[in-house]
Amino acid sequence: MMLALFAFGAISGTIYWFVTYEPAGTFLLWSFSLMPLIVAGYLVLHGAVRARPLEDDPDATPDRAAGQELGTFPAASAWPLVLVLGSITVGASLVYGLLLLPVGLAVTALAVLGLMRESQS
Amino acid sequence: MSVTLERPVAAQPEEPPRRLGPVERLTSTDHKNIGILYCVTAFGFFLVGGALAGLMRVELAEPARQVVSTQAYNTMFTIHGTVMIFLFVAPFGIGLANYLIPLQIGAPDMAFPRLNLTSYWFFAGAGLLILLSGVASTGGGAAMGWYAYTPLSEMRYSPGVGVDLWILGIALVAISNVMGGVNILTTVFLMRAPGMTMWRLPIFTWNMVVTAILGLVAFPPAVAAFALLFIDRRLGGHAFDPLGGGDPALYQHLFWFLGHPEVYILILPFFGIITEVIPVFSRKPLFGYLGLVLATIAIGALSMGVWAHHMFTTGVVNNPFFSAMSLLIAVPTGVKFFAWTGTMWKGKISFTVPMLFALGFLLNFLIGGVTGVMLASAPIDFHMNDSYFVVAHFHYTIMGGSVFAIFAGIYFWFPKMTGAMLRERLGRVVAVLLFVGFNLTFWPQFVLGLRGFPRRYVSYPPDIGFDTPNLVSTFGYFVMFAGVVLFLADVAVSLRRRVPAGDDPWGGNSLEWVTSSPPPDHNFDALRPIRSERPAFDLRHPELAP
Amino acid sequence: MRRAGRRAAPATLVLLGTACSGSFGMPRGATEQGADIFRLWQIFFIAAIPVAGVVYGLILWSVIRYRRRRSDDPDALGSQFRGNHRLELAYMGIPILIVIGLFAASAAVEVRVDAVSSDPDVTVNVEAFQWGWGFTYPGEGVTIVSPPSGEFVAGPQMVLPLGQTTRIVLTANDVIHAFWVPDFLYKHDAIPGRTFVFDLTPTRTGTFYGECAEFCGLNHAYMTFSVRVVPPAEFATWLVLLRAGQAAA
Repeated sequence: MMLALFAFGAISGTIYWFVTYEPAGTFLLWSFSLMPLIVAGYLVLHGAVRARPLEDDPDATPDRAAGQELGTFPAASAWPLVLVLGSITVGASLVYGLLLLPVGLAVTALAVLGLMRESQS
Repeated sequence: MSVTLERPVAAQPEEPPRRLGPVERLTSTDHKNIGILYCVTAFGFFLVGGALAGLMRVELAEPARQVVSTQAYNTMFTIHGTVMIFLFVAPFGIGLANYLIPLQIGAPDMAFPRLNLTSYWFFAGAGLLILLSGVASTGGGAAMGWYAYTPLSEMRYSPGVGVDLWILGIALVAISNVMGGVNILTTVFLMRAPGMTMWRLPIFTWNMVVTAILGLVAFPPAVAAFALLFIDRRLGGHAFDPLGGGDPALYQHLFWFLGHPEVYILILPFFGIITEVIPVFSRKPLFGYLGLVLATIAIGALSMGVWAHHMFTTGVVNNPFFSAMSLLIAVPTGVKFFAWTGTMWKGKISFTVPMLFALGFLLNFLIGGVTGVMLASAPIDFHMNDSYFVVAHFHYTIMGGSVFAIFAGIYFWFPKMTGAMLRERLGRVVAVLLFVGFNLTFWPQFVLGLRGFPRRYVSYPPDIGFDTPNLVSTFGYFVMFAGVVLFLADVAVSLRRRVPAGDDPWGGNSLEWVTSSPPPDHNFDALRPIRSERPAFDLRHPELAP
Repeated sequence: MRRAGRRAAPATLVLLGTACSGSFGMPRGATEQGADIFRLWQIFFIAAIPVAGVVYGLILWSVIRYRRRRSDDPDALGSQFRGNHRLELAYMGIPILIVIGLFAASAAVEVRVDAVSSDPDVTVNVEAFQWGWGFTYPGEGVTIVSPPSGEFVAGPQMVLPLGQTTRIVLTANDVIHAFWVPDFLYKHDAIPGRTFVFDLTPTRTGTFYGECAEFCGLNHAYMTFSVRVVPPAEFATWLVLLRAGQAAA
């Protein structure tokens, strides 16, 4: 699917250029075609295409995956709310006055540090 | 504190899920909670946008009537459009996706739960900023139309902080969407249960995959456009200012490169809802699964190439290229319609409330789609662009389509989310009121557009053919209003006096119906082998399983 | 349950009602270009009817014929087929053909409507501003400008000769506006920093209402104007009188 999207973006971008000679749209279509390549590249690099994972095996049964660790998932966190409050303050400072900027940056930094510490626990 | 999860295998005794307190509701990273937060917040914005619509309809009901100032009216349609598009329909789709995708693919949560919560808070924060932008300036708030075309949105013509707050709000919504998109794609690609191949995914999940890709590709250029606009306004830039060597048309290209895929972001999740509802209530498998998936991908891809059909009357784009691409999108959309009809064919159709809304969707969206084909013709668009014909077209697709699907989805999944059923008879009244009210409101707007009534007009001269359709349209709004009020009453009553739903009140097809209502933490205590796109059905009918 | 059937009927009736008004809901187009657009609209409208008819018909039929009846076993299932390849290819292929046909018709009309004559009979410079219009007949020394608006004043009136080709040269120097005469079925955006040119060849006399069709700020709704089409002799007289009046002023 990723390759199909890349092909579509590349082909239509090329056709668009030769039909219109309009730079903005051509650039947009070509850059759109690159994003699926990034996703496809990641999937290939991480073996999702080479080795056939259980989820892509039509005959797999759940017990074959029994006990397989899926990952660590946080239970609850207040830091996302703090992150957003910090971001809004930074944004508002651009509109209402740069006095708010250090406050916003401080709160955002606090939230980022909080999130990072949470991931390590 | 974090939790290590293992894939489930053996059945464990089920604990009923805890009711969450208010602080927990706002900080829990459980996808089900975040999904509900999204949906409830988005529905709240629907009520705000709907109230603004009501004020506008009252203003337009009669030519001589002036209930709000012109400046206020211009602010109202700006905020109405922004709220409905960015704060209601799109987030509701993401909310439903957050709730359903892990359940539908057999996963315990989304791939990045804290990112999920962060994207919700960015959405909520964005909502606050956008509402503020409507009221913030003493000269009136953001009143440049939700397109924010330049040079009108430049500082010279829109002084004050309204537009700047609006830009910040949209930027936060974009960040929220991109985060959500990353989360959805990673979850679907890497966290499906064993045997849940991509070709057995429920169509709702497939549609969300394409929606997520569209969001990832489409939002960044728009954020770039808004950043440039902000620089023009506040930091002495001239990107879009012809007096400084800039070009207003460039803004339109960048804006519509998001703007058009955005409307597919507004419909694809809801095509997905309809595709979940129809097979269940026709008691049949979905017709043409592969065709539907390919059609969805085709719609997503094509939607990136049609943006300048919003610019047919500007004289700066190659109209035939965009006209051809826009006409082509009708083909995969038609494929979907035939797939839905084929699903109903030779079925055993029951007219539950979700199915009634789904039928309303089909009838309404067809009109929206056909009128879209008309608008795809550039010469026809020379007359219809920027008229009420376009307004009617997009309300038929987004409101008659997506919003009807939203109601279908609410009636369908409310039992799963809360463990309680909504009232069937009251729901039928709601469905009829909304259908009749919707058509009374928006059909006359096709007539208005054809006769020459432009968009974004606060008033109109009498006796040139605009009077009666406007009056009928306003009447229709109040019929819809009654439907929405009854719906809210239904929700309140159903939560108060609960009728237990059980795991699977409808006889559903996908995995969410296999687990309890509401589902336990981490969703599944045990999973059976998955062999088709309707695992819940296969469990009930092993004799028919492939 | 015939609910869904009852609901589809009003929509169809109104659809027919619009057609029965005699002009498919749209003005017939008082210029050559407009008449071309009107014929295209008729094609699209007529093409839409069988498409909508087939789809609505299939939906209604399914909903009536395949509904669950009270006598049915509550666990009864529908027929469990999953697809039909030939049908699926057909319902992909036939719309592609329809769309190609519609595109061909549309492109042909666009070429004609966009065509600009090399030697127009009259030229009018139209300047859009917040919130009114200025019409200048260059070479004749005639300028008509509308007063500042806020109410529905009559606005400036552009006079054009019947049957002759008028070139409109459209500019704006503040924000984007759009020049729209609904009876001509034609509008064009006026974008600051650019000049646009298009032709109008009126085929009917009369006075036609004009409006701004791109949101341009506070009094966007009050930028009305009109276009009056008169026989060429009367146009020449009007021009002479106006030139004299403006020279005297």
